[in-house]
Amino acid sequence: MTAVKRIPIVKKRTKKFARHQSHDYKCVDASWRKPKGIDNRVRRRFKGQLAMPSIGYGSNRKTRHLTPSGHKAFLVQNPADVELLLMHNKTFAAEIGHAVSSRKRVEIIAKAKALGVKVTNPKGRVTVEA
Amino acid sequence: MTVTFSREPLNLVNLHSRKYSGLVNEKAIGVVPAPNGGVTLLTKKDATKHSNKPASVINSTTFGPNTQPRKTYAGIVNSTAKKYYRPDLRKAAVARASAIKLSQRAKKDKAPAKPRGKKAVVASS
Repeated sequence: MTAVKRIPIVKKRTKKFARHQSHDYKCVDASWRKPKGIDNRVRRRFKGQLAMPSIGYGSNRKTRHLTPSGHKAFLVQNPADVELLLMHNKTFAAEIGHAVSSRKRVEIIAKAKALGVKVTNPKGRVTVEA
Repeated sequence: MTVTFSREPLNLVNLHSRKYSGLVNEKAIGVVPAPNGGVTLLTKKDATKHSNKPASVINSTTFGPNTQPRKTYAGIVNSTAKKYYRPDLRKAAVARASAIKLSQRAKKDKAPAKPRGKKAVVASS
């Protein structure tokens, strides 16, 4: 089932924010840490420095948490969970939990197909590698 | 994500809310798939008389798989909303019955993908 049409999804930035000096030292991981030093040029937002995360990069509330198809993901573990989405198949897509066996995945996918619910990860554990 | 779903049979949209709850409302409508196809309409009896036995409060009527969709919807509306029994749920009840009817139909298989470009060359050789 295709999602309800909304305003277009705009990502203001898709690159990750790298931690200051993570490019220069292998012991400094890229995971973001806000620089706190008194003289730090990144913290003081000097020209040509790394950008710092801020609230302005946030997504429009109407398109936040949406997949490119326009659905929100709802985690399901069994076919009964898929039934919850019967009246919401235009806003929610089912996402099968990572620990669900392939036998149950087949059941979940069949149920989702009957109810017209989109599954975000239908290929996991179900298709066999050639 | 701030949505809370509900699994109650008397909840028409599976949303946890005052309006759609089948537990707190004295009158409520449920539409569930019948075991042999078709839909079952659930309603609540007069709660003032049966409130101490919640299990026996539910009334059920089944519209079988051979009942036409329009007859099914008309049956649901005529026995509930038209009788001033939760007229606010009229649309939701019909929508749910329709969705269940649709889910019981046989689904077409997806057409096999036609390979293009390099894959087409590989497939033909």
